[in-house]
Formats: sequence, structure tokens, C-alpha cells
Amino acid sequence: MMPAQPVILGEMPSLSKLYVNAAAPAARRRLLGTHDGSVLPAESHEVRGVTVDVGNLTAYQHLIGETASDVLPAGFIHALAFPLAMSVLNRDDFPLPLLGMIHLRNSVEQRSPVLFTDALDITAHVENLRGHRAGTQVDVVAEVRLAGTADISWRGTSTYLAKGVFLPGIDKPSAATVRTDFTAPDPTGLWQLGVDTGRAYAAVSGDFNPIHLSVLSAKALGMRRSIAHGMYLAARALADVGAVRGDSFIWDVDFEAPVFLPCRVALDISTVQGTAGTWERSDFAAWNPRSGRRHFNGSVRSF
Amino acid sequence: MSIDGQPTTGPDAAGTPAAASAPAHRRAVIVGGNRIPFARSGGAYAKSSNQDMLTAALDGLIARFGLQDERIGEVAAGAVLKHSRDFNLTREAVLGSALSPETPAYDLQQACATGLETVVGLTNKIKLGQIESAIAGGVDSASDAPVVVSEGLREVILDLNRAKSLPQRLQILSRLRPKDLAPLAPGTSEPRTGLSMGEHQALTTAQWKIPREAQDEVALNSHRNLAAAYDAGFFDDLLTPYRGLTRDGNLRPDTSLVKLATLKPVFGKNLGADATMTAGNSTPLTDGASTVLLSSEEWADSRDLPKLAAVVDAEAAAVDFVHGKDGLLMAPVFAVPRLLSRHGLTLDDIDFFEIHEAFASTVLSMLAAWEDEEFGRTRLGLQGAFGKVDRSKLNVTGSSLAAGHPFAATGGRIVASLAKTLHEKAGAEGRPVRGLVSVCAAGGLGVAAILESL
Repeated sequence: MMPAQPVILGEMPSLSKLYVNAAAPAARRRLLGTHDGSVLPAESHEVRGVTVDVGNLTAYQHLIGETASDVLPAGFIHALAFPLAMSVLNRDDFPLPLLGMIHLRNSVEQRSPVLFTDALDITAHVENLRGHRAGTQVDVVAEVRLAGTADISWRGTSTYLAKGVFLPGIDKPSAATVRTDFTAPDPTGLWQLGVDTGRAYAAVSGDFNPIHLSVLSAKALGMRRSIAHGMYLAARALADVGAVRGDSFIWDVDFEAPVFLPCRVALDISTVQGTAGTWERSDFAAWNPRSGRRHFNGSVRSF
Repeated sequence: MSIDGQPTTGPDAAGTPAAASAPAHRRAVIVGGNRIPFARSGGAYAKSSNQDMLTAALDGLIARFGLQDERIGEVAAGAVLKHSRDFNLTREAVLGSALSPETPAYDLQQACATGLETVVGLTNKIKLGQIESAIAGGVDSASDAPVVVSEGLREVILDLNRAKSLPQRLQILSRLRPKDLAPLAPGTSEPRTGLSMGEHQALTTAQWKIPREAQDEVALNSHRNLAAAYDAGFFDDLLTPYRGLTRDGNLRPDTSLVKLATLKPVFGKNLGADATMTAGNSTPLTDGASTVLLSSEEWADSRDLPKLAAVVDAEAAAVDFVHGKDGLLMAPVFAVPRLLSRHGLTLDDIDFFEIHEAFASTVLSMLAAWEDEEFGRTRLGLQGAFGKVDRSKLNVTGSSLAAGHPFAATGGRIVASLAKTLHEKAGAEGRPVRGLVSVCAAGGLGVAAILESL
């Protein structure tokens, strides 16, 4: 689906306002998904000339274990574009409830490096509304270009699930995705995630979603404890893959089980080499070292 | 402190081998360098760690010379202000860089001579045939400096770890006093004298009667030369921008003797009328990193990389500064004559001098000592004065007063810049050109090196 004329916003929308908006009575209809349509809004949202705060960038890089270089980490760009993506989900004509959406999958194409000194044009739209055995899923696509240019430097697709929401005309998939059995390998790393992990990521990403902040705020939203932000975990895995990924790469992650805080997460990163002995791909998987349950898995490969 | 009354400790007395007996080794060459612009402390790099900056300088070097995935023989670098968690700083920077993770690395620390000493150690390995390629470097952050807990708190924490029972723990905790909770920032005082480096240099400045105007002139030339080098594009292939800086943050192209003369003295104020050292003619606290690519000739040739200059030889020296026999920063005064004598050279045989400007008066005190007949006879064991440095050959692309001085990064800055200067001059004049590097350091240390154009 090609998006229609973009809606150009004067500035990056404020996430906190979007969250507060989502909780306001006027937004209850939107929030609870009483919208009766099964069609996604066609318009994309766009903000032009977005710039990066270098102090925020450095704090992000240090938190997730990247060296503080001038190149924006792929996960940082995700966080940069996230408020715009949220503004699309917050539209009156978006058919799914905002609250309780689950991040199932994330795929990023880092096509060319973006420097912190670059001004950026960012667009976001939704597409691919489809069924899921547990509800309805949708892709939120964000694209980042150097300001005033046509070529996409970064493209991210985030797949969200509205659990328990079934829209008319959207069929469940005929076959549920087959869950592959996971046997934990010997880990290559171990993360100790403190109870403040969610707050620390909120501070650098600007995403103050209550389910990540504290036990109380998470309980208010029906979680038994606060959970680590999926993009924090995926970004740390990407940082662990390291400089071998080069300047342009594809970074995919499937989120499987939430990481309740505090906890230890076992990690395996395995390198797949091409025929010439050069790096082709790094696969990563993370699991609970006690239960052996996998939290997420994914890969980084050259673009 | 006196300059006489000391038996000869000249070139021959130090027991260094004569040139004739030196074994012939293969050459170690400087291929090129890369640094990030130096930033004033608390400026553009305030939140960047040593590892961040060293990695940034390293990645710029890797990009410039196509070293991605390359297994380099060895990488050596260091930092003077170093957190204990950075015990493997250089190796961590290598792991975070685009070099092959199978590149070995080690940390080195010799105060402000760290950067130059990494060049010396690595080129020695290359000359011996132990390695074919190497990267030398250094980094320092005065902004992101480690802060340690007080000795009282440290002892309590360690004892608590060893305690076995709750009463024991409570007893240990009861030793804590409020003053123990105050953190300690690193200082630049000499452990044995309690004097800061600036105060030490103020004594030397007064001893050699270095006038204020001469110091300001050195500072002015440093800024002018550095600014001119930037304008001429000299640093285009020696520098990678970082955190928005494209030039050294301390550079003041428009400074003047009039402006410099307005600054109040900051060191040696207890010396009364003799206080001449200001913020203008002393180096500021600075953040930055530098790297130098070194190799055998074969390695450079096989990759079609440039060979700017050879690292001919080096000499370290130290002075007994603790009770004032010599000034804290005067060790190069002894290192240079020993080094040149080993090669049968004099100051007249040098085309370019790079004398690190810890303070303008450090450079001037060294030059004064070398021009002093009595010092030459009694301390250097010569017939008379060691010689005169042609000031037009001194720090021609600027030095630390203008660029700033992130302690361990200064050696790499100087070596890469001098190698390029020698290469350009040799190309223009069609003859071999020789350069001398001198770096003074805390602890009464100094290192000097000879580079020769290729």
C-alpha cells in the first residue's frame, strides 16, 4: 500500500503527550479500540529537519554498550523515529487499541551510516494489517532520509500485536506459526539486568512506557513486574555483534518472552562466515539461564 | 637549584652504545596518523570516555588506510588519567574498532611521554622483526577523569568484604567519618613534592630567567603556526572530526601579544615579581586521542601505503628534580644531547624541531640550558654550550599551547605531524630531512626521538 499525501508535522510529537492523550477520556474510544473500521489510515506522518542531541546520543551509546562514535546506532534512530510512529497509531482512524500492544518483531535496514550532525527527514506509516492467532497484527514503518534527499538511509519495520482484538474482515492465519524448539546453547555472554534497566533506557530513548519503569506502574497495566524494553535488549545484542557489522546492515529481532526485571539473561552470538571466510551474518539468541526459555532471537547481516 | 657543581653526566658517561657499535636493523617507518581534534576540558568531548576517543581516532586511521579486518602486529596506547576499569583500555578500543579482533594490544603509561614511548617500543619491535605493522597511540580526558573514594572509605569497603559477622560489619562501619565520603578528583601534583607541574615549571622559569614576553611570543607562534597549518590543509589527512569539532578547540588564530599580555599569572605567584606563567602561555587541560600507523618497509610497500619517515632512534632521560637539582620538566635537556651524540649529530643537523610545549617557558628553559656554556660543560660534559635551536625550525605546525595537550595523545600528534612535515620538505628539496622530537613528562621524565624523511 502506497501511503497517500504525508501529514507534515511541525516538530517531533511529544511522546509523553501522546501517552497522556491516550489516557484522557476523549481518547478512550481510540484506546479501547471501539473503532469499527478494519482499514488502516493511508497517510504517512512526516517531520523534517530532525536533529540529534549529542549528549543524549552519548548517554544512549554508553547505556547499550556502543562506543560513543559520531555514527548514530540503528537502535537510536528507532528511538528517534518512535514518537512519530506513535503519532500514527494515535490517529482517530487507526483501528487498533494503543494500550497493551505487544512488540512482536523488529526489522531494520541500515542502508548507509547516519552521523549525528546530519539533519533528518523522518516519515512513518502503518501497513499490512493482518490476523494473528492471538489477535491482529500491524506493521509500523519508519523511514529516515538525510534532510532534503530522496534516498532512504534507515528503514525500520516494527510489528505489533493487538492481543485479543479481532477485526471484522481480518482472518486468522490458517496455520499458527510453528514454534521451533529451543535448546539453550553454551552462552557467549551473560547480562545482569538491574531493576532500574527500564528506567535507564527510558531516560535515553524518551520512551516512558509505564510497563518498563517500575513494579507499581507495570502492575497498573497488568504486568506482574516491570519488563526490559525490547529495543534495549535488541540494541545491546547489536552492540555485542560489534564493528564486524560494518556501516550498512540488516538487523532483525523476534521478541518471544518478556524479560522481567531484575534478572540475568544468557546470550549467544554466533558468526556465520561466507565462502571467502568473510563475515556474512551474526545470529543472536537470548534466554533465561534458569528456565532455559528464550526471550528473543535475531540476526545482523550485511545489507 | 644550581646548574653547576655536578660531575659530568654527558652522552658518553651514560653508558649508551656508540653509533659505530649499533647493530644494523631494518627500518621502521611511519605510514601516517590520525587523531581527533583536541577539545578543551569540559567542552565537546565532556561526556566521551577515553575508550570512546581512542576508538574514534583508531577508526579514522583504519578508514584512511583501509585496515578493516586487518590483523595488525600490535597496538599500543595509553592514558595518563585512567580509571582502574580501563586496565585493558587499548585492547578494548581494538575490540570496538574495525580491526581484526585477533589484533593484540597493550597499555603503556609514562605520563606525558606515553604517546611517544608507544612509538618507540613498537618501532623497536618492527626493527627486530617481531612484528610487521603496529599502531601507536594515546588518549586522555581531563573531563571524564576518574574520581576515587577517600582512603578511609576504601579501607572500610575492603574490610567489610572480609568481615564475617554482623557485629564485625557494624564495628567497621562505625569507623566511617563524614569526610571519608568526599570523593577525590585526580590532581596534577607531583607525589614527592606536592607542587603542581605549573609550580615546578615556575621554579625552572625563574631559575633560567625566562621573561614573560618571550613566553607569550612562543604561545603566539604556536597559535599562528597551527592556524596556518589548518588553513593550508595540512591536517586534512591527519585528523577525523569528532563530536562536531573539526579543529582543535583551544586554537585562537586571532590571539595577539597584546591580548596575551593582559592575562594574569597563574603559576609561581609566590615568586612575587617573577610570576610570568599565564593561562595563555601554559597548556590548558584538554581531551583528545591520537594514533600513528607504523610498519616495516615491506608491509607498507605490499599495501601500496605511503612511507613518510623512519623512526631512527630514541632516548629516555630522567632528572633528579625532587630536591631541585634540575627542573621537573628538564629531562629532555639531557636526552637530546645523548641521542644526537650517539649518531654523531648536532642541533645544526636537524631540519625540524618538535619540542612539546607543556609550558612556553619549558621550551625556553630547555633552549636556554642548551645555549649555556657552563651548563654544557658541567652538566652535559661538553666543551661548551650544546648549541642553538634555529627558532624558524621549531614547532612549525604549532604545538601544545595552541592544540592543547591531552597528555598521552600528544606524542602521536607530534610524530604524525612531524613525519608529514619531513616527507613534504624532502619531496620539495630532494634531500633527506631530519626531525627531532622532545617530550617532557611528570616524574622528571623525558623522551626524545629522531625521525628521518623517506
